[in-house]
Amino acid sequence: MQQLKDLQKAIVKSQIWKSIFRVGIPTDNRKRALATLGNVVLHLHPIKVKKSGLRMSYTWCMGGTSFFLFLVETITGLLLMFYYRPTVEYAYFDMVDLREVVAFGIMRELHRWAAHAMVIAVWLHMFRVFMTGSYKPPREFNWNVGVILLVLTLLLSFTGYLLPWDQLAIWAITVGSNMARATPLLGHEGPGAAFLTLGGEKLIHVGSDARFGLIAGRTIGGGTLIRFYVLHCLGIPFVAACLMAVHFWRVRKDGGISGPV
Amino acid sequence: MTDEKSSSGAASEADGSSAPAAVSPKATVARVPAAKPAQATSQGAEITRRGLFSWAAVGWVGFTAAIGGCMTAFGRFMFPNVLFEPPTSFKVGNTEDFPPGVVDERFKEANGVWIVNNEGRLTALIAICTHLGCPPAWLEAQNKFKCPCHGSGYYKNGINFEGPTPRPLERAKISIDPDDGQILVDKSQKYLWEQGQWDDPSSFIEVS
Amino acid sequence: MLDENFRSVVAKPDNVPIVMMVYLAGYFWWLAMYKAIKNDESTENGAPTFEKSESEDKVFTWPDLVFSELICMVVLTVGMVVWSIVLKAPLEEPANLSVAPNPSKAPWYFLGLQEMLVYFDPWMAGVVLPGLIIVGLMAIPYIDTNPRGNGYYTFKERKTEIVLFLFGYIVLWVQLIVIGTFLRGPNWNFFGPYEFWDINKIEPLVNIDLSEIIWIKMLGVGLPSHWLPREIFGILLMIGYFIVLPVALTKVKYFKRFYDEMGGARYYTGITLFLTMMLLPIKMFARWIFNLKYIVHIQEFFFNI
Repeated sequence: MQQLKDLQKAIVKSQIWKSIFRVGIPTDNRKRALATLGNVVLHLHPIKVKKSGLRMSYTWCMGGTSFFLFLVETITGLLLMFYYRPTVEYAYFDMVDLREVVAFGIMRELHRWAAHAMVIAVWLHMFRVFMTGSYKPPREFNWNVGVILLVLTLLLSFTGYLLPWDQLAIWAITVGSNMARATPLLGHEGPGAAFLTLGGEKLIHVGSDARFGLIAGRTIGGGTLIRFYVLHCLGIPFVAACLMAVHFWRVRKDGGISGPV
Repeated sequence: MTDEKSSSGAASEADGSSAPAAVSPKATVARVPAAKPAQATSQGAEITRRGLFSWAAVGWVGFTAAIGGCMTAFGRFMFPNVLFEPPTSFKVGNTEDFPPGVVDERFKEANGVWIVNNEGRLTALIAICTHLGCPPAWLEAQNKFKCPCHGSGYYKNGINFEGPTPRPLERAKISIDPDDGQILVDKSQKYLWEQGQWDDPSSFIEVS
Repeated sequence: MLDENFRSVVAKPDNVPIVMMVYLAGYFWWLAMYKAIKNDESTENGAPTFEKSESEDKVFTWPDLVFSELICMVVLTVGMVVWSIVLKAPLEEPANLSVAPNPSKAPWYFLGLQEMLVYFDPWMAGVVLPGLIIVGLMAIPYIDTNPRGNGYYTFKERKTEIVLFLFGYIVLWVQLIVIGTFLRGPNWNFFGPYEFWDINKIEPLVNIDLSEIIWIKMLGVGLPSHWLPREIFGILLMIGYFIVLPVALTKVKYFKRFYDEMGGARYYTGITLFLTMMLLPIKMFARWIFNLKYIVHIQEFFFNI
């Protein structure tokens, strides 16, 4: 026992350890402040927080849960990318492989269920923010950023839905993307599109409307798959991460977790 | 799968500019005169101010046009010029292969049309529900097309009678190929009932 | 859960999140209202709200906040792993564009929108209404000028806002998702919770347009051939609903208060968004009671409401 304690002491006192963990276990208030300040992740937080903002019954922990689930999605998604090839020939069978022959075959399950859970968490987070009136001045802009993040969450989930390339996926996306056909003016079956003509030629038809730009073809196919894959893995997460940075920054700048004014 | 060059709308235009491009510079040009009088009437040091202003305006117009151009280019980039989709025109056989009153489902899977011989006319109905694009199923027992997604129903001639669909099924162009007498279906030409196009002779073949 | 048909729908792996969501939404709804009413009670007695009494003293982020976050993360991780082991992610047959599963459903979080498709055309249910939901959510902080209730639970001081939001959130969004998931079977027909999803269930559909109701049933003449006289009643009804009604409401005492408090721009934006939201339940009831298909039906331009 004594030897273990000595060993621990030697490690904690060593130059390497001290260069990484500057403060050690905080024992007084100065060190508690430094522990938050000196850590890149923890300094998202203020040094001190209102006690009312700490209450789980006040925040429901849903904002943090949303962010944590986003991180889970990032990690599991990255792992899935090692095995998944977004082409019509391979996509479905890579999914089968992920399930049957890849070690730790719950990665896909983790990714899918965390995605569903994230959608629910974001909705509940919005519900809480509304019920506590936390969108009121000075937080109006941050509520707007949050609404955009909610839309991006749904879009992330929607683009990911196609990637397994099974019947469930392709028909859900067919039903979903066919709405774009009916966009007013920009969809070839939307109201007003028939009036957009140039020299007797229709400008908006099945090969030039909003849906065509979305799914890269007149029907769902290989072009759609690669397009959704890029959006799902790079495009939307990048935008969402930038907006999350803005979101957290504004939470701090608008006075931390909301409380009674 | 065969490669097929399809002329998408944006590509088929002569000048290659699509609608958004035409809009954005115009909008900026319109902004300049509106801003000018307000500045020009101000007192004192008119020349330098006006000079400064016009350069600023040119700068802004250039900047907006550049951004607009980039955005248009991005948008246009998302519209492929060559599609790798099955060909839109194909041959289905001779008129004798389609007895009266029968809905032929052989070409639904590969080409997405039913060949229907109904009331003395042979038509090619496109197997896409006009509501949201699912493929309806032909229910022989109930003598109707029924869409599985939202329950739209169509009679044998393609006219809608139930469910949320707003309009009948569409017909594809159908004709007799003069070379070998086979029936030629061309899906790129569609005929819509509500536009009165079902009377068009290219939308059916008379069979006795 | 003992009923086989009920179980086959509820226990689908993809439907489990929705069952979760129903319970979570219900619980948190109760929790928010419970805390709000407790706060209202204490302010009536002259005491500060619960949040107010605690917001004065501050605690250090380390250890209080950091450790509760850590515990949350651990609990969530364990929960996710257990869930992933117990339930397999669904994988059906390889994609085939010529065979549609029956029913074809969008991902569950869009089933509320898909349910709207029963009552509205795609351009309305798929483009305009979702767009206005997003715009409406973003407009909330700029329309709501009530300064009270900022940062604490209360019902008494924000009755209108909370009732409106709950109506949109719980009734229109969550409930439509539940209906679309559990009560819509093959051919998008309505099935009761314990009913077998019979693919051949026949639903007689006798929906008729407003123009048919008026011109044929009431006036006993045929439909005019040109779209303008044919649809004039529906168009007038929509103009009355969206343009005349908001102005007329400013004369009503209850709404006049909002008009005076918020000013014209906020009031008209808010009331337009509100009326658009109410268009959905109104159309639903009209469909159930009068079998109304379209209020305005101009198929010449694909313009159907």
